[in-house]
Amino acid sequence: MTLSIYSWLRDSGVLGMNRRNAEYIMRQNPRTAYPLVDDKLLTKRLAVEHGLPTPALLHVIQYHGDMATLDEALKGSSEFAVKPARGAGGSGIILIAGRNEQGFVKQSNEVVSFEELHYAISDILSGVYSLEGREDRVLIEALVHPDPVFASVTFRGVPDIRIVVYKGVPAMAMTRLPTQKSDGKANLHRGAIGVGIDMGSGTTTSGVNGTSLIDRHPDTGGKVSGISVPYWEEMLLIAAKAVDMTSLGYLGVDLIIDREKGPLLLELNARPGLQIQVANQSGLKKRLDLIDDASSHVFVSPEARVAWARDAFTREP
Amino acid sequence: MRRTATLLAVGLLLAALSLITYRVVRMGYPLYPASPAKAWELSLEARVPPNQRNITIKIAMPRSGEAQTVVEERLAPGLLGFTRVLEGPNEVRVWSGNTDRQGDLISYDATVLLKDSRAVQATTPALAPFPDDVTLAEQSAAKRLVARWRQLPLPERLRALADGMQLFLEETATQDGDVQVLRLLEKRQGTVVAILTILRAADLPARVAEGFFLAEAVMATPTRWIEVWTGRGWEKLHVQTGRIYAGSAQFLRLAVEGVPVVRTSGLDFLDTRWTVSKKIISAWRSQFELIQRSDRLLDRWSLFSLPPQFEETFRILLLVPIGALMICVLRNIIGFPTFGIFMPVLMALAFRSTGLLYGLAIFGGVLCVGYLVRRWIDKLRLLLVPRLSVMVTLVICCFTMFALVGSKFGLRELMAVGLLPFVILTMTIERFFITVEESGAKEAFKMALGSAAVAATTHEIIHIEGLQLTFFVYPELLLAVGAFQMLVGRYTGYRLLEYLRFKAFRRPS
Repeated sequence: MTLSIYSWLRDSGVLGMNRRNAEYIMRQNPRTAYPLVDDKLLTKRLAVEHGLPTPALLHVIQYHGDMATLDEALKGSSEFAVKPARGAGGSGIILIAGRNEQGFVKQSNEVVSFEELHYAISDILSGVYSLEGREDRVLIEALVHPDPVFASVTFRGVPDIRIVVYKGVPAMAMTRLPTQKSDGKANLHRGAIGVGIDMGSGTTTSGVNGTSLIDRHPDTGGKVSGISVPYWEEMLLIAAKAVDMTSLGYLGVDLIIDREKGPLLLELNARPGLQIQVANQSGLKKRLDLIDDASSHVFVSPEARVAWARDAFTREP
Repeated sequence: MRRTATLLAVGLLLAALSLITYRVVRMGYPLYPASPAKAWELSLEARVPPNQRNITIKIAMPRSGEAQTVVEERLAPGLLGFTRVLEGPNEVRVWSGNTDRQGDLISYDATVLLKDSRAVQATTPALAPFPDDVTLAEQSAAKRLVARWRQLPLPERLRALADGMQLFLEETATQDGDVQVLRLLEKRQGTVVAILTILRAADLPARVAEGFFLAEAVMATPTRWIEVWTGRGWEKLHVQTGRIYAGSAQFLRLAVEGVPVVRTSGLDFLDTRWTVSKKIISAWRSQFELIQRSDRLLDRWSLFSLPPQFEETFRILLLVPIGALMICVLRNIIGFPTFGIFMPVLMALAFRSTGLLYGLAIFGGVLCVGYLVRRWIDKLRLLLVPRLSVMVTLVICCFTMFALVGSKFGLRELMAVGLLPFVILTMTIERFFITVEESGAKEAFKMALGSAAVAATTHEIIHIEGLQLTFFVYPELLLAVGAFQMLVGRYTGYRLLEYLRFKAFRRPS
């Protein structure tokens, strides 16, 4: 068959960019729901309303005039994260892990004076990190202490878990592990590696670095496969419920595991990337088709959707 | 929706196809670009002195007729009023009025398409009387001199006369009284009158014409020649010697019947500069005349009804959607990214003034400088709008440097840098920076390469004259382009580069 040279991609059920845009994002995600996921503060409020765990919100600064309230709010806290509500790709985030006489100590052990922190917050408010240049708000959140489960395969930074949810059913998942190249950021575009997670068992499968498959972390040398992800069922449930609160039919849910508080919802993404398929060695299109064909009783509750997904999308033993 | 879009696309294609078919079959439009025809451009620049009152300047200009078609005329507006009048066989442009302290510049340009001379209709002109001030004695002397050739057919008669003309007019000793009479006439009235008298005596219709040789040249005044009817067309004679110009010589006639091309009143001196230059244009252009004079609905609404200065714009504009279609294909079918959606098309349009290579080089240079500065500026944490403003200032600074360097080395292409879209360039620097930051330098270079490729291809496409004219004659082709864009819009298959991106799925069979 001459066509087989070209048909391997379709046969493997891989979802392409064109189809993702035309048949999933355009059809499933109403534009009106986008602000809910583009603004971290709105997402967080919605999550709290729906009883989903998120990093605790310590303080919000909306106007430059609110800066006076900062000292009061930070009194006594020596660990927190400063985030722009509309920042993309982790830009503008400052993680403070301690305090000394000179000011705050960042997670990277750099010292930030109180004035410098003021200045940084003022930058965020003016929209320096929001790509459209809109005025932004500043979130001050409790610092997350990542669960040590991925410690052996993380180069600095905080690993996170991405679950793609279609019509409320978790369809595919991976963990994103920072590398030296990604500068501690859990962003695949910047060089972080993605590792697939088996839906059924919640253990990691294979890793992808760029477009090639890997089995060991490029910096730490730790084996990326076979890691059993804690709180798996719980995280799938959070992901399944996140759909109900946003009305987005095709959604990427980003979670982080705190060693004390367990899984926390970090942010939502209305245009989740396609690289997750390589990390899982599995085509998303095949799974989305299965979800489309599932009988209606699958969709009655988040629990039913998760149970169905764990059964349908597990690897054959 | 998918079916609706596909049906709409097919409908648009059919509509375009049927309109074209109608034009070709029923209205006789050309289907292929025919062989290029010869066209000439005649331009005049005349400097009118300052502070003149009630002056009139009459200048005869080419007229569409048996031998030529005036396809385009351009006139730069000035202080003087302008009209055109028909004076017998001559079409005259008249400028009149006053000039101020600055004086005025008359600038006029015409593109003339020469017709195949063999197709010229033969209508024998009436035989004019002898020139004024030629006495009866001189007339009979001339008649006696040419008597032996009068029975010859017209072409041979002229050829014999032209050969004999030298005998009559050249300063050789002769005893023939009739020749001496003619030589006296030449002394008194000039060579032209003498030649005209001889031609009239031989019953050859003749006239004096002014115009230009069709050869690339710049001249201060038009040339005069004598035209003689030979039954098939006008043969040209040199005004000094009476010799026939070689058959290959081509003339652009501006005025006939002794009227000079330039006439002025109320003015001592008019400094004129004429430029004749060759212009190769496709025969599609000759369709222009046909369409413009036609009363049929499609002809009346054709783009040829636009004034020439706007026509040029539309020739280019009509091809822009092809550039946009290419971007659709590159992004959605191949999967190659470009900066901004239509940035490459705008670049391609801008490269018209700088040329492709210089344009790309300037663009690349400004992008590099801009990126370095943008990187440094990032540390200053400027707000978005002021930051972009700084970048605009930088881009303009770069442009100024390029222009100054260009002027130092006489490179026009560099001086034309000001026509590049600086806003687009500024936004491109910003996007380039963000892409490098977010997705790495490799991705950013890939995008820059994709953009440059589309810009270059689009630049080449919009300069294919055949394509320009095809779209100009058949603007319904836009519907077809739109149809293809729609089809690309409904393509949900894999992008070519996804075969690489997902190569991990390929299993050895």
